[in-house]
Amino acid sequence: MLVIPRKQAVESPSSSDEEPIRSEAVSRPDASRLVGRLGASLRSRFGDSVEASVDRGSIRLEGEAPSYDDKVSAGWLAARYGFKGVVNDIRAPGEADERLEPRGAADSSLDGSYYDVAIVGGGVIGAAIARELTRWDLSILLLEKESDVAAHTSSRNDGMIHDGFAAKPGSKKAAYNVRGNRLWEPLCRELGLDFKRPGSLVLFRTAAAAALYPAMAARARRNGVDGWEFWSRARVAAEEPNVTADQRGAFFLPSAGVLSPYRATVALAENAAMNGARVALGACVLGMELDGGSITALRTNKGSVRAGVVVNAAGNWADVVAGMAGDRFFSLHQRRGTDMILDAETASAQRHILGMPRLLQLHSKTKGGGLVLTVEGNVLVGPTATESPGREDYATKPEELDRLTRHLRLNTALSMAQGITYFSGVRPCTYEEDFIVERSERVTNLVHAAGIQSPGLASAPAIAQDVAAMVVEAAGRFRRVAPRAGWRAGRAAPPEPRRLGIEARDALIAGNPAYGRVVCRCEEVSEGEIVDAIRSIVPATDLDAIKRRTRAGMGRCHGGFCTPRVMELVARETGLPAWAVTKKGPGSELCVGPTKAGPRRSRGDAAARGDASGGAS
Amino acid sequence: MIRRLETDVVVLGAGPAGLAAACSAMEAGARVVVVEREERTGGILKQCIHDGFGLLRYGRQLSGPEYALRDADRFGSLGGRAMLEAFVTSASRLEAGGFELACVDRGGAFLLRSAALVLATGCRERTDRQVFVHGDRPAGVFTAGLAQYMINVQGLLPGRRAVILGSGDIGLIMARRMTLEGMEVIGAYEAKPEPSGLSRNLRQCLDDYGIPLALSSTVTAVHGGRRVEGVTTARVDGAMRPIPGTERDLSCDTLVLSVGLIPENELAKSLGVPLDPRTRGPRVDQNMHTLVDGVFACGNAVHVNDLADYVSESGERAGSSAAAYALAGPGSPSRVRRLSPLSAGPGCLYVVPQLLDLAALADVARADDVCLYFRSSSTMASGAVARLAAGDAPGAGGATLLERRYRALRPPEMERIKAPAGSLAVGPARPAEPGPGASLIVEPIEPEDR
Repeated sequence: MLVIPRKQAVESPSSSDEEPIRSEAVSRPDASRLVGRLGASLRSRFGDSVEASVDRGSIRLEGEAPSYDDKVSAGWLAARYGFKGVVNDIRAPGEADERLEPRGAADSSLDGSYYDVAIVGGGVIGAAIARELTRWDLSILLLEKESDVAAHTSSRNDGMIHDGFAAKPGSKKAAYNVRGNRLWEPLCRELGLDFKRPGSLVLFRTAAAAALYPAMAARARRNGVDGWEFWSRARVAAEEPNVTADQRGAFFLPSAGVLSPYRATVALAENAAMNGARVALGACVLGMELDGGSITALRTNKGSVRAGVVVNAAGNWADVVAGMAGDRFFSLHQRRGTDMILDAETASAQRHILGMPRLLQLHSKTKGGGLVLTVEGNVLVGPTATESPGREDYATKPEELDRLTRHLRLNTALSMAQGITYFSGVRPCTYEEDFIVERSERVTNLVHAAGIQSPGLASAPAIAQDVAAMVVEAAGRFRRVAPRAGWRAGRAAPPEPRRLGIEARDALIAGNPAYGRVVCRCEEVSEGEIVDAIRSIVPATDLDAIKRRTRAGMGRCHGGFCTPRVMELVARETGLPAWAVTKKGPGSELCVGPTKAGPRRSRGDAAARGDASGGAS
Repeated sequence: MIRRLETDVVVLGAGPAGLAAACSAMEAGARVVVVEREERTGGILKQCIHDGFGLLRYGRQLSGPEYALRDADRFGSLGGRAMLEAFVTSASRLEAGGFELACVDRGGAFLLRSAALVLATGCRERTDRQVFVHGDRPAGVFTAGLAQYMINVQGLLPGRRAVILGSGDIGLIMARRMTLEGMEVIGAYEAKPEPSGLSRNLRQCLDDYGIPLALSSTVTAVHGGRRVEGVTTARVDGAMRPIPGTERDLSCDTLVLSVGLIPENELAKSLGVPLDPRTRGPRVDQNMHTLVDGVFACGNAVHVNDLADYVSESGERAGSSAAAYALAGPGSPSRVRRLSPLSAGPGCLYVVPQLLDLAALADVARADDVCLYFRSSSTMASGAVARLAAGDAPGAGGATLLERRYRALRPPEMERIKAPAGSLAVGPARPAEPGPGASLIVEPIEPEDR
């Protein structure tokens, strides 16, 4: 995600079309006139099949579109009219009937409970907000419908902490990105997370593109980006030895950073939990009860929860959650992106984040993707950007990989053969293509952090600060809010023996031999680390969760060897039978039961261990 | 205090290659330390409960664990001890010669020094994404070896209704195994126009159970977000691209992949050992000595074998050679190699060894029969001639050093030629490659020529 791709599958008609037709808030007499104009515009494109109306300050679109791309185009068109939001209820082919549903069986573990703040959604935004709020003496509940935090968009991105250059000047994205970029580095230090700032090279394909440098610098200045530089062709070649010969210099953005997005989310959630927040995994919000313009309770699969303030950080479901509170003033559309991870051996092949936008148009919605260094070192190729229905549709498609190969040529040392795996993520986008970070205009105790698409990860700490302030203000209406005594900014990151020197590693193992048993050979992950993840204050109990925390199964064999061992550790620690261990929570069980002969005796049984190890101690 | 151990030969991996290497090195008088990351020796054989092992080596059909037990018994009777659940975290070459390995086990971190190193690290399986199966990443997609481990070692049933992608031997064996466990195996799909597995496995594992094998067909996508709900299959063209319009959706909860094995050589790479791009294993001479002095390699780390017997054979050779190297000591004239390339000529997919040490061949005291392992690059159903020709250029018309005739050759079935050392006199010993060398040429025999 070198530059933020906005829309790629659907080209915008022309750049003048991008300009808003109204930029200030729409007044009532204006509204009907503007809707009339929008209606005419829609009719010219879609005939009578699409209709626009004003619904409590937002534009509402209804009808049928010939394709999902057309539906999205209609939404973008409506967004230019300056209403509060665009509620796009157009139906399009290929849209599945998606419901916000719990994964597992219901229970009553949350029933009757009360929290000053309930945060809906355990992605990086929800986790960062929870952590920020623990600075105050509020009781906090973080609700996550999956079996782990960071299960969706927060683990399905490239981990880039953007510099803020690509965001549209004046947008919330631009402001939050630049602020977030500054906040992440000290935050990572507090949380014991890796953060690197390799910087980003926006390569020029042509001399004409290079001539745009002054305009790019002006944009960077306007966005408040922390530094930029013109690099000559020779300098790029010297600093990035494997770079394509087909470059004419670069726009260098030194503040671009990388981190592990899922580890960051876990660390934020763990730190929040350490400071007293309750993280409820597998807890899905099904509805809300309102009284006099306020939410009184959340209905979940784990019972009814009363809440003082509710934060909507529900990612790709944020419009649905807003609707539960009667505050559906926006719709999300889904822009899928696919990334490919290359083998760790690529770690030495590249020093900076590389991208080469196909046509360097500063106001284009069509930007690029590229080659991102992960914080672990592997190069990550991507992402693509395709408007695609499906809030949780992560199925990759062959043509997406074809698109990724285009980026590979930027680094001559890389090849598709180094690919370990590829994955998709879905960006939750509003039609305004900007974040929504605000207190609800209709519901007194609801705060939205919605439409947090790229650069949402980069922006997360800044968004969290502002949302926390809004929550504290809202909570101030019903109780006095004081700073929490004994708040701890830090988190003792679990040990990673592979990163220790030999003496320190030896000492660690002396304290706990499990750190000496390597379970995942590709990534050198020990039993001790896996057990730490399972026993975490925010426990990882499925294989994907353990993979995100420890990297077990993330390497070149992709779990071929360690899967059974990790299953056994989960079974041992949780008491589940091994076949009931899941990949990603209920419904993703790895096995269906025992074989005819039944499961083997547990590891550690002397007879089981000795039978083929002749002579071995 | 960090533990420090010193020995003559360190063997990495205690599968059939590593144990054979360890035993032969011990029999040659060397002190040996075996480092094994699992809790038991035997390597992948532990999970191979089917028979078919040992026909060449022991003249009888053994199961994998039985075969492994023979290795373990021999190893034990020689007084060998494997360091189990031990893992090498890094390897380095010492200035003064020899190697130092940083290792960990439950007892802590330790350093292991040796004069020679034998890499018997085996191979890993290619995964779904490496053969471009698309879709989400639900539970229910397993490599064949993983499914085999679950069923045979853990006693867990991975699903109810399976599709197999690829026709590698483990996949075929798993088709039978899953059927015997009561699973429904819908069929196996192979993108190549010919099966990848051994003929005996095609008969005994698919035909005998009525499991269909679709050739020139593949799985293009997996359906389901949490557990596999089905797959899409398609026919493929000559370039193995799916042919539009031939897609078929199948309902299943399990996809088992048997789409190839990749030698594990991360440690070899870190030591600067040059690899052969065709085998993806180290280039070795006839003594399984890599191009880095003192580093030997054997078994599936060198090239993917289809018989454990050949894996053991290469281990024996690597172990005795490593022992000889270690015991000779620095500066010994017997350590001086004169390497000449042995290349895969037309019709030959690859040949191991890729190098001949002419010095060893010329030394009557050390010269031993040379085992050449090769695969033909295409099916030669009506017969074939493998000819070792002097000269390194492809299609070299050099003198024929030896020749073997075959009734048929198929790429999945590795062949082995045991050549007397004297037959490989490929000219005067040259100091190093490139030299005139030799190449193995494989030519089909047309039916009328037979």
